[in-house]
Amino acid sequence: MTQMMRSAARSVLASRGRFVLTGTAIMLSVAFLLATLVLSDSLRGQAAGDIAQALAGTDAVVQGVVLGEPGGGPGDLGRSVRRSLDPDITERVAAVDGVDGAASQWVGFAKLVVDGSSVGTGTATDAGRNWVTVPALNPFRLESGRAPVEVGEIVIDRSLAGDAGVAPGDVVQVLTATGMHDATITGVATFASADAAPLQRTVLLPDGAVSAWLDTAAPTEVLVDVAEGADRAEVLGRLSALSDAEVVDGPDYIQTMQDAATSPLQFLTVFLLAFAVVAMLIGVTIIFNTFALTVARRRRESGLLRAIGAERRQVLGGVVIEAALVGTVATLAGLVCGVAGVGALRWLVGLTGVSLLTGPSIVSTTSIAVAATVGMGATLLSAWIPARRAAATPPIEALRESAAEPRVVSRARTASGLVLAAAAIAGGAVAVAGSNPVWLMPAAAIVPALVLCGPAIVTAAARWSAPVARRAAGVCGSIAAGNLSASPRRSASTALALMLGTATVTLFAIFASSLTSGVGTDVREGLQADLVVTSATPDFSTIDPTLAGRMAALPDVDAVSALSIAEGIVAGRAEAVGGIDPTALPTMFDLDPIAGDLADLRSGGVAVVGDDPALLGDTLEIEFERSTIDAPIVAVVARSTGGFEAPAYFVDSATLDASAGRLLDALVFVDLADGMVADAEEDVRALVRATPGSFLETRAEHVANSGSEIAAFGNFIYGMLVLASVIALLGVANTTALAISERSGEIGLLRAVGATRRELRRIVRLEAALLSFVAASIGIAVAVGFGWALIEVTGGADIPSVIVPWFSLVVTLVVAVAAGVGAAAWPAFRVSRVPVLELVSRDG
Amino acid sequence: MLVGAVKRYGSGQSAVVALDDVTIAFPAEKFTAVMGPSGSGKSTMMHCAAGLDRLTSGRAFVGNTDLSTLDDRGLTMLRRERIGFVFQGFNLVATLTAEENICLPLTLSGRRPSGEVLDQVVTLLRLGDRLHHRPAELSGGQQQRVAVARALVARPQVVFADEPTGNLDTRSGQEILGFLRSAVDLHHQSIVMVTHDPNAAAWADRVVFVVDGRVHDVMDRPSADSVLDVMKGLGR
Repeated sequence: MTQMMRSAARSVLASRGRFVLTGTAIMLSVAFLLATLVLSDSLRGQAAGDIAQALAGTDAVVQGVVLGEPGGGPGDLGRSVRRSLDPDITERVAAVDGVDGAASQWVGFAKLVVDGSSVGTGTATDAGRNWVTVPALNPFRLESGRAPVEVGEIVIDRSLAGDAGVAPGDVVQVLTATGMHDATITGVATFASADAAPLQRTVLLPDGAVSAWLDTAAPTEVLVDVAEGADRAEVLGRLSALSDAEVVDGPDYIQTMQDAATSPLQFLTVFLLAFAVVAMLIGVTIIFNTFALTVARRRRESGLLRAIGAERRQVLGGVVIEAALVGTVATLAGLVCGVAGVGALRWLVGLTGVSLLTGPSIVSTTSIAVAATVGMGATLLSAWIPARRAAATPPIEALRESAAEPRVVSRARTASGLVLAAAAIAGGAVAVAGSNPVWLMPAAAIVPALVLCGPAIVTAAARWSAPVARRAAGVCGSIAAGNLSASPRRSASTALALMLGTATVTLFAIFASSLTSGVGTDVREGLQADLVVTSATPDFSTIDPTLAGRMAALPDVDAVSALSIAEGIVAGRAEAVGGIDPTALPTMFDLDPIAGDLADLRSGGVAVVGDDPALLGDTLEIEFERSTIDAPIVAVVARSTGGFEAPAYFVDSATLDASAGRLLDALVFVDLADGMVADAEEDVRALVRATPGSFLETRAEHVANSGSEIAAFGNFIYGMLVLASVIALLGVANTTALAISERSGEIGLLRAVGATRRELRRIVRLEAALLSFVAASIGIAVAVGFGWALIEVTGGADIPSVIVPWFSLVVTLVVAVAAGVGAAAWPAFRVSRVPVLELVSRDG
Repeated sequence: MLVGAVKRYGSGQSAVVALDDVTIAFPAEKFTAVMGPSGSGKSTMMHCAAGLDRLTSGRAFVGNTDLSTLDDRGLTMLRRERIGFVFQGFNLVATLTAEENICLPLTLSGRRPSGEVLDQVVTLLRLGDRLHHRPAELSGGQQQRVAVARALVARPQVVFADEPTGNLDTRSGQEILGFLRSAVDLHHQSIVMVTHDPNAAAWADRVVFVVDGRVHDVMDRPSADSVLDVMKGLGR
């Protein structure tokens, strides 16, 4: 055994180049997987841990009565909608027997404004809270400075302080539902030990300021500290007897908060894991290729060993030990790189503005075990399968046979692949025809079908491309095309890695473009205003309500119309309800009424977004935080105002203000006088710039930016795909290098009969280009088909139509081919540097 | 032609001298065999003479061209246009047909093979019915015939053959040697062949014996027996 170990180690060292590439593939795959696992652990664990720690002193929470559950659309944070509490609720809670402390918790919108510009962008929300004066119940801890006491004093979280570059003593402004307020920072706080509460930027206000600034009459909830020695269950029982309130046990509350904070991250985690799986698949393909070739090259050697009496197990053992050595070293390196790579992934996630990983990375033993097992397992399995095949060959046959694999493509294999492909296409067709997602499962069988058909596809591609290649590049072209089909199985598995990579890119590109278009359609078709003022974040209104009036007063501004949005409960579901000026809006945004008259909103009616005119005349009950309205449906419109948070219902803005409190505006549409556009736009721009929380877009910009949240997320996804593609390209480099070492004699011959180095490099590059082209075009074609079926079946209202981004796909194809050629550059360089003689006399 | 050729591998104590001040000319339009025991330097001599390897000192000429003045590209062009090669193994590009293999040196230099020359060579080597087969579909002897055809088709100044019959059975070997012989006799081709087989050497016009990196003897109009005698004298 030690003898075998030593000889295996020597063999690995002897063919260093080959194993460095394989090792790199294993290492990258393991690193990618581990980094993904660690990142998702850290994202979830960090947020959950912070919340548990921050709320550790809270025994129970009194909240308003639940009105409805969240609608569950994209971007929804999963909060329940609750009725407001009574203003005197805290006193009532404190008076309950067994309650040691009760602290009001006010939560509203507050955005930090420094030197006239608001701080923080991205998906985190801007929250204003009161500074809880009961230390045991305060989720925040002062890090420096002192707590806010007077109105006009604030404390901000550490992450916000860092982003804004401010410190205690600085004078700033805070934008809230009641407008702009001057404030002095008295301190910086942490959420438990984290820089910020998960997914939030928090401004903490003194008790005296919250009601006026956050524009709420009563606390959002009351945090309760149960007295020591009191029976907790009994106290909870007494609390639940309070009228117009619900009570939640502390641990349940923490759980709810954790779920709310981590649910958007789960989405991210699923994506991350999907990429890890793709990366791993690609990695395994590369590893398998390398060992298949390693074994093939050593067939003669193992044939000799067998001939002189080595057992089958001994021949097999050598290869497996070799694999174990490479696998162990590479996996260990991968683990190290993985932990280091979390930093890179964090940076990548940060690009989307989701800077929510505030604490240290959590490297759990489970993550390490999973990554290590997958890395080692994949390596050993990839080595064992070809080794077993080699050991099963009779020794004499192995001695006689050349190292190259047979050129013949198994007919049975291709046939079963074709059957599978037909089944997959049929499944997709049934799924689309019947709108039944279950049938998408057989459609996914297209991947194994491609694995089976791969060699046949590559051979066919080589045959078709040969004349073209010959015309384009002469004899180099035909050699390159011929090489492709010289070992169809290996070419096919290399192509598979690249195919998976491009297919993932394509699938996502189609999904993103369809979703963006779906969200942007209403804006594209309905918007008529010259300019649009937008809020700082798409999911929260931040425009000062006086801005609309001030803009209307400007010369050469024809008309101004604002949209405010409030959450209301319709038939038990939380829905966005828009408040509009029914006479001014239609000239600037065409809601496309298909029944009724929008003007009737003035008399307290409601307009429904939908396509059923028969809804007209029904009465709709909408529950808001403060009051409930019963409104007759006076109009049905085909279009909403666009974006993720587009209202499903519209009422008169006066009605909405009366029912939901004074609101900030979500959007303001501006029409300029004809002919005076440039000057008037400058005036409006100056006014908007002086109003924090509002941004000016032209019509074209607003149309382009609708759905830009998806684009931001898209950047992140593309970043991940780049990583996965790097691994796939490594596969191309690896296979090319392997194929070259296999063909060294032939290459030497070409040199001897007068091929220049440039011509040799050209052959290698051409071969890589052909392979990449075949792989990428099949990957794109399959993904377009599958993506189309997927979106047709599951897209629903969010993605009404499939938009195939042809331009991006062409770019993807070009990039894939260019990258394939780039990956072959190194082997191509190497091949042209080897002295002729060495190649001719290597084995012959 | 080699003049004062020295080829040293390695340096210092462990240096091995493969060619030790060799000066020899291979006559034009003749069939020359280079013989010698294993490790005598006969292959090195051929590689250096053909521009596959560079001399440590001394000069190698093909015609009037001094190989030491050529860079890699120059050597490549020389091999492409003025030298033909036949090796023991790895003689054909597996992905090309026999015809494509034969024409490879010409197509690489962007020339079209003249139909007449191609016909001549194909006829000479009796490959007419095999032109569209790939190497894997040919027997060892046929493959080597294709290799000889490739070496001849560009009408090079000289063909170097390195153990061309080493991998073949006697009959196929004799066939190949016969073709080389007739290329010299019929088409005035110059051929230099490295071999260790006295029977192969007997087909040549002249045999050069190499021992320990030096030219030991030169024999004109050899026969298998006379060659064998000399070889025995070399202590084989």
